[in-house]
Amino acid sequence: MKKTFAAILGATMMTAPMAMADDWPTRPLTMVIGFAPGGSTDIQGRVLANVMEEYLGQPVNVVNQPGGGSAVAFTRLKNTEADGNTFLFGGTTALTFTPIITPVEYEIDDFEYLAAVALGQNAIVTSAEQPFSTFDEIIAHGKENQMTYAQQTPLDEAIMRAIAEEEGLDLAIVPTGGGGGMAPLVLGREVDFAYSGGTHAQYTPTGEMVVAAFMSAERSPFYPDTPTLMELGYDYSIEDYRTIIVPQGVPENVKARLLEAAEYASESQAFKDITEGNTFFPVVFIGQEEMEANVRRIRAATEEVMAD
Amino acid sequence: MDFSAVGAAAAEALTLASFIGIGGGVLLGYVVGVIPGLSRSVAISIAIPMTFYMSPYIAISFLIGLSKGTAAGSAVSAILLNAPGEASSAATALDGYPMAKQGKPKTALQIGLIASVMGDILATIILIFVAIPFARVALMFGPYEMAAILAFALVFIAGLSGGNIFKGLAAGGLGILLGTVGLDNQTGLPRLTFGYTELMDGMPLIAVAIGTLALSEMFVQSEKLRYERGTMSVALKKDDSDRMTWPIFRRILPTILRGTGVGTFVGALPGLGPSVGSFMSYGMAQKAAKEPERFGKGEPKGIAAAESADNAVIPAALIPLFGLGIPGNVSAALLIGAFAIHGITVGPLLLRDNPELLYSIFAGMILASVIMLALGWFGLMFFAQITRVPPHVVIPVVIFFCLAGMMLQGYGTFGLIILMGFALLGYLMKKYDYSFVTFLVAFIITPMLELNLRQSIILSRGNWEILLGRPIAMFFIACTVLALVTLIIRTFRTDKAAAGAPNSE
Repeated sequence: MKKTFAAILGATMMTAPMAMADDWPTRPLTMVIGFAPGGSTDIQGRVLANVMEEYLGQPVNVVNQPGGGSAVAFTRLKNTEADGNTFLFGGTTALTFTPIITPVEYEIDDFEYLAAVALGQNAIVTSAEQPFSTFDEIIAHGKENQMTYAQQTPLDEAIMRAIAEEEGLDLAIVPTGGGGGMAPLVLGREVDFAYSGGTHAQYTPTGEMVVAAFMSAERSPFYPDTPTLMELGYDYSIEDYRTIIVPQGVPENVKARLLEAAEYASESQAFKDITEGNTFFPVVFIGQEEMEANVRRIRAATEEVMAD
Repeated sequence: MDFSAVGAAAAEALTLASFIGIGGGVLLGYVVGVIPGLSRSVAISIAIPMTFYMSPYIAISFLIGLSKGTAAGSAVSAILLNAPGEASSAATALDGYPMAKQGKPKTALQIGLIASVMGDILATIILIFVAIPFARVALMFGPYEMAAILAFALVFIAGLSGGNIFKGLAAGGLGILLGTVGLDNQTGLPRLTFGYTELMDGMPLIAVAIGTLALSEMFVQSEKLRYERGTMSVALKKDDSDRMTWPIFRRILPTILRGTGVGTFVGALPGLGPSVGSFMSYGMAQKAAKEPERFGKGEPKGIAAAESADNAVIPAALIPLFGLGIPGNVSAALLIGAFAIHGITVGPLLLRDNPELLYSIFAGMILASVIMLALGWFGLMFFAQITRVPPHVVIPVVIFFCLAGMMLQGYGTFGLIILMGFALLGYLMKKYDYSFVTFLVAFIITPMLELNLRQSIILSRGNWEILLGRPIAMFFIACTVLALVTLIIRTFRTDKAAAGAPNSE
């Protein structure tokens, strides 16, 4: 099946003359998104595609390929021709985390990480109507009472289990299946606190939800007063970079053009407005060298957490 | 209600794109409805892939418009062919066909259309006024309540699908088993994926839906083709006396209102489909009539009763969907899938967090009713011609759309193989009388049921007493047990009087 997919792509490419050095791209490009339409990756990706199109002078078509938290999309990407005409936009968790617990058919070295344009947001949230609002208050409350936590990934669950053990909390952890399932549990106070991968952007402006702490490595510019777990003295973080990723072996000049387009996008007002204004993800520009190192560093750190 | 949101919604509903999308949906639904053997759920399952490139609002309105269109269109073949396009229009044929044979086909069609449109609009308005407060109440439901309600809906739908409880359990069990395929939602470990990355997010809904509903139905139809030859349809002639008049309308108006009430009530309960609604309404109209003996011989009230209820069921079935996120029947279950494809979780939070979308959908539904009236009124001649399209043309076209819809999913050959597997499964289930409705609803409900049940067990820390403080959950658990017991008793009693139970679609 993978062969068929590659064969179809190959066949369509045969019809176009091989792209020469500087005039790439000569045909429409495909941006693969590993999630269903409507989520934060999809919203950001579509704007990014528009801006890149503006810069490269060829249409950038968005194709959603959901499944297994992008695992399906990465498997497909690995098997497409490495000509840069098909690239993926999305988070790095499918590479830094998924392969640790799930057998997948790709590895970090199958891809190149050209540029990150936004920083993923991972937070611990609670309802504004709870008697606690900061992470320290949650821990203090938990020392006296049984508590409940809603997870979304095995990684945040592992971190929270480790913290609960350190602090001696009696914590029950429930699955939610995603941000859409987390919100009613927190707002209805069925659970005491929860993990949020970005859903909180919808509920903190209305004052219904509060962010108790960030799991990311750095504070969010949109919640400058909220500390990270690291700052609170817990040595855990979940880092995620929204990155442009191509299969290994794309020609240097093509990679350079894609990188320029990404840099152009990270400075574009339209991309900033949507990414920062609607989804509360800080826009950044991190080049290939740093991203290659980041992905491998996060993977090693995650393996350590999951081994406990 | 938030009136600025309502205004914005109305503005969005009146754009050209939405006219084309919704109008296209209604037209397509009408055509599907007219063709006997192509049912509503078949049409929706094939149409979902077509909505990938639409905005969420247009996509959902398109699908709801399509549902509505099938309900109105099915009256055409019921009246002209005596072969209902949908099971639910069988009641329409009882009086519609005799009336057509008496030289009044156009009057019969117009009565059917007016009753359909009125039932539709009124039920849509009821939906708007009921779903909103209902969703507010439902916001207070936690995992315990949701798990109990889902379990109840599953048992209730299984029970109404009729037949032997053991066959029902087998069909439901298979649905539950297939519903658990994919990554475990807590540990992230793969379950029953057999190493296929494609199965990590579960069995693809489109493959299961198109396979068991649409493609298998085409197998059944082509098999029938060998034994049955086309029936004769009543032709429409130019005859000025053959049209609906004001006195007729006044005479049938109370029947339409009653039919709408019955249809709305039946639609709001999970599992009771439009067939139950239209036959119940027909029966009530007959009982209430001064001359009940005229029913079955071309009585306009018979058509009005059946069609108004048939159409009222469709918007009403969205009450539990929008209020709770629970599907009342297969069509609504497919809509959940369509919402999910567009990144939207249906349920009480939809109204809270995304009221513009919901109001736009409501506005789109009203627009669909109006378009349906115009299409039905002016396109009468055209739709009457469709009843003459032979099945050997229809079947290959539908098979093409089934396969194309699956290819659009991006699963490649793998998807087609799975689709064929489910088509075969659906065919065998239909052949040996296992309820594919129970199977499909179980398949769609299972992930929700599993998640809520798991949450309930973990949050309660295994302590049963927590349910004592949850009266709503207790109530639905009691209902579930009661329904199960009733079903078992029925199975053991009805060896002789089996069958006859209406299917929910």
